[in-house]
Amino acid sequence: MNAVHGRYLHIDLSAGTATAYPLPEAVFARLIGGVGLASYLLDRFCPPGADPLGPENPLIFASSPFIGTGITTASKIALTAKSPQTGMIGDSLSSSYLALALKRTGYDALVITGQAPGWTVLAVDDGEIRLLPGSDLLGLDPAATADAVRAELGNSFRVAAIGVAGERGVRYASISNDGRLAGRTGPGAVMGSKRLKAIAVRGTQRLPAVADPRGVVRAARELAERSLGPDTAKYRELGTAANLAFFSRLGVLPTRNFQAGTFEAAEAISGERLFLEHRTDKHGCAACTIGCEHHYRTRDDGETVEVRLEYESLFALGSLCGVSDPNAVLRAAALCDRYGMDAISTGSTIAWAMECVERGVRLPGRPEEWPRFGDAEGLLRTIQAIGERRGLGDLLAEGSRRAAEIVGQGSVEWAMHVKGLELPGYDPRKLKAMALGFAVSTRGACHNRSSAYEVDFSDQLDPHAEALAWARAAARAEDRAAVLDSLTICKFLRHCFSDFFTEAAELFVRVTGLSMTAEELRLAGERINTVKKLFNIRQGWTRADDTLPPRLLSGEASGLTAAELDRLIQAYYRVRGWDEQGLVPPERLHELGLAELLRDDSRMMHGYAG
Amino acid sequence: MSTGTATVRVELFGTPQLLTGQRQVEVPGRTLHEIAGVLAQEFPVLAGPVIDPATGWLNGGYIFVVDGRFTRDASYPVGPESSVLLVSAQAGGAS
Repeated sequence: MNAVHGRYLHIDLSAGTATAYPLPEAVFARLIGGVGLASYLLDRFCPPGADPLGPENPLIFASSPFIGTGITTASKIALTAKSPQTGMIGDSLSSSYLALALKRTGYDALVITGQAPGWTVLAVDDGEIRLLPGSDLLGLDPAATADAVRAELGNSFRVAAIGVAGERGVRYASISNDGRLAGRTGPGAVMGSKRLKAIAVRGTQRLPAVADPRGVVRAARELAERSLGPDTAKYRELGTAANLAFFSRLGVLPTRNFQAGTFEAAEAISGERLFLEHRTDKHGCAACTIGCEHHYRTRDDGETVEVRLEYESLFALGSLCGVSDPNAVLRAAALCDRYGMDAISTGSTIAWAMECVERGVRLPGRPEEWPRFGDAEGLLRTIQAIGERRGLGDLLAEGSRRAAEIVGQGSVEWAMHVKGLELPGYDPRKLKAMALGFAVSTRGACHNRSSAYEVDFSDQLDPHAEALAWARAAARAEDRAAVLDSLTICKFLRHCFSDFFTEAAELFVRVTGLSMTAEELRLAGERINTVKKLFNIRQGWTRADDTLPPRLLSGEASGLTAAELDRLIQAYYRVRGWDEQGLVPPERLHELGLAELLRDDSRMMHGYAG
Repeated sequence: MSTGTATVRVELFGTPQLLTGQRQVEVPGRTLHEIAGVLAQEFPVLAGPVIDPATGWLNGGYIFVVDGRFTRDASYPVGPESSVLLVSAQAGGAS
C-alpha cells in the first residue's frame, strides 16, 4: 500500500533501546491509522491490570496515511495510553508539525515503554534515539521547555512536552506541542511517570508516496475550497466560544457543577462579547485552511495575558464554576496551558470542590482558601494549587471521581464524570443522543469520540423516536468520529463532505491505493470503536461503567431517567451486536475481521500480546 | 406576504448576532422561509454570509431552533408565540 511506512519504533526507556517492527498492511486496511492505529498498538502492548502510572503502560504516538498529503487539517498526531483518570483507554489527538516530523522519521508510530532512570528528554532523530538529561528543564512550562530543547538540539526538531502538572502526576495532565494540547485522559501524567519531560522528533526521510498523486492534489484542493465555505464559517469567524450564550439559552450550558443549565451571566463571557472586547487574532493548526484558533487578551488592570480559548475551556472555567469575569476565565485558561492540564477536568474538579464547600463538606487545606462558586480569585488560586499539588490541590489533582471517593460525605453524588473522565460542556439532560454517547463512550464522558450531540442539535430524529433509532444515530456518529480521528482530519470539516463516508473512502483509495467503499469505511469506524472496547474489557470494564452521574438521572429537573438511559444503552448494545452485558461475542469479532487481525499480529509484536 | 402577517421574535446567536449587532429582532413571517427572507431584507449584512440571496434561505452552516426543535425545514410554520433562534450548526473539535 501507499502513504505509510509499514513499521513502528518501539522505545524501551528502561533499557535505553529502540527497535523497529513491521506493521502489516491489514492494520491500515482495517483500522486506517491515527487513533485506530494507536488503539491497536495499545491493545497489543498494555497488559491487563497495568498501572497507568507504571513503566508497563505504553505511551503511543501514531501518524496516519493522510499526514503530509496536503489534505487540509490532516496534520494530527494520535496518542494512546491507559488513562490514569479512567483506568481504560486514553486517546487524544493534537494538531501539529510534530505529526509531520514523526512521519518523516520513516515510522508510522512510536511505542514508548519503561521508565527512564532520571528526568529525560527523548530525542528521536529518524531511526536513532538519544536519551538526554532533562532535570534542568523541571519547573518549566511546556512552551519554555520546547524552546529550551530546540535551542539545544536545533529548530529542525519538533517537541512535545509536559508542564509542572505532568511532572507532579496530576491525573489530567496534558502533553503540549506547537501550542496545541493532547489534553483529555491524562497523557501528560503518563509521560511524567516515565520521567520524560520532552520528546523531540526530527525526520529527514521522504514522505511515502500516495497512490494517485494527481487525484490527491485535486481532491485536496477541492476540500480546501469547501473548508472556506459557510459550513466552517462559525469556526473561522467566532470559534467554538460562540456556543456559550446559545447553550445557556437552550438550557444545556453546565452551570455551577451541573446544578443548572442556564447561566445568568452568560452574556458577560459569551463568545460574541469575547470577540468584540478581547479577541486579538486567530491562527490555524499545521496544514489547516480553516484557522479556528482564536486568541484573546485580558482587558483589566491586572497582568496582561493572551491565550487561545475554546468553548470547552470557557464553560469549564466560567459557567461551571459560576465565574462571570472574562478576564479571570482567560487567566484560568492560560494557567491550565502553563501547568499543562486539561481545562475540562480542571474546571470540573474545582466545581466539585466548590459544591462541597457550598454543602458544608470538609475538605483538606485551610477553609479560607477553599474555592467557592463565582470566586474568580479562588478559581485561579486552586488551579495553581492543583498544578503544583499543594494543599487542597493535591486532592483535586486526582480528579473528581477519586477526590470524591477520598472525601466521601456523599460527594460522589456531585462528582460529574463518566468512567472517571469529567463531562464536557453539554448538559445531557436535554440531549438524549449525547447522553447515550457519554454513557457508552470508551474514554469516558467525551463529546469528540461520540459527536452524538449533533443528532440532538439537528432535525435528524423526532424527539419521540424509539430507543433503537437514537442508538443507531449515536453509533453512526461514533463510527464517523472514529474514522475522522483515524484519517486524522478535523471534525470541523465533516460538513464539508456531501456524503462523508463515500467521499472519505474515495480519498482513502487515492491516498493509499487500497480498496475501500463507503460501507467498508463506516465498518472500519465500528472496528476501531470495538478495538477500544476490547481494550477496556481486558482492563476490567463492566456494564456498570456505562452510565451517567446520578445527578443527571434523578430529580424533576432531569429530562432523563435511569430507566430511559438503560433502554438506550441496551438498544446501543443491540446495534453494536454485543450481548446484554455489553460484551463483544466472538462471532462479532469474526464478522468485523478483528479476531484474525488481533490473533495473527500477536505473534509478531514484541510487547505484551496476551 | 399579506399585510396581516404576525410579527415573530427571532433571537440571533454567533455570527448573525455579530453582523447585525442585535441579540433579538422582530420580523413578520408565517414560515421560516419567510422569516429568513425578511431578515435578509431588513439586515442586508446577513445576505451572503448567513442567508443565500438567491434562494432567500439559510446557508449550510446555519439552522433555526423553533420552540426547542432544530430545523432547516423552510416551510416550518411559526407564529407570534413561537420561540425562534437563528444559530450556527454544531460540530466538535479535536483533543
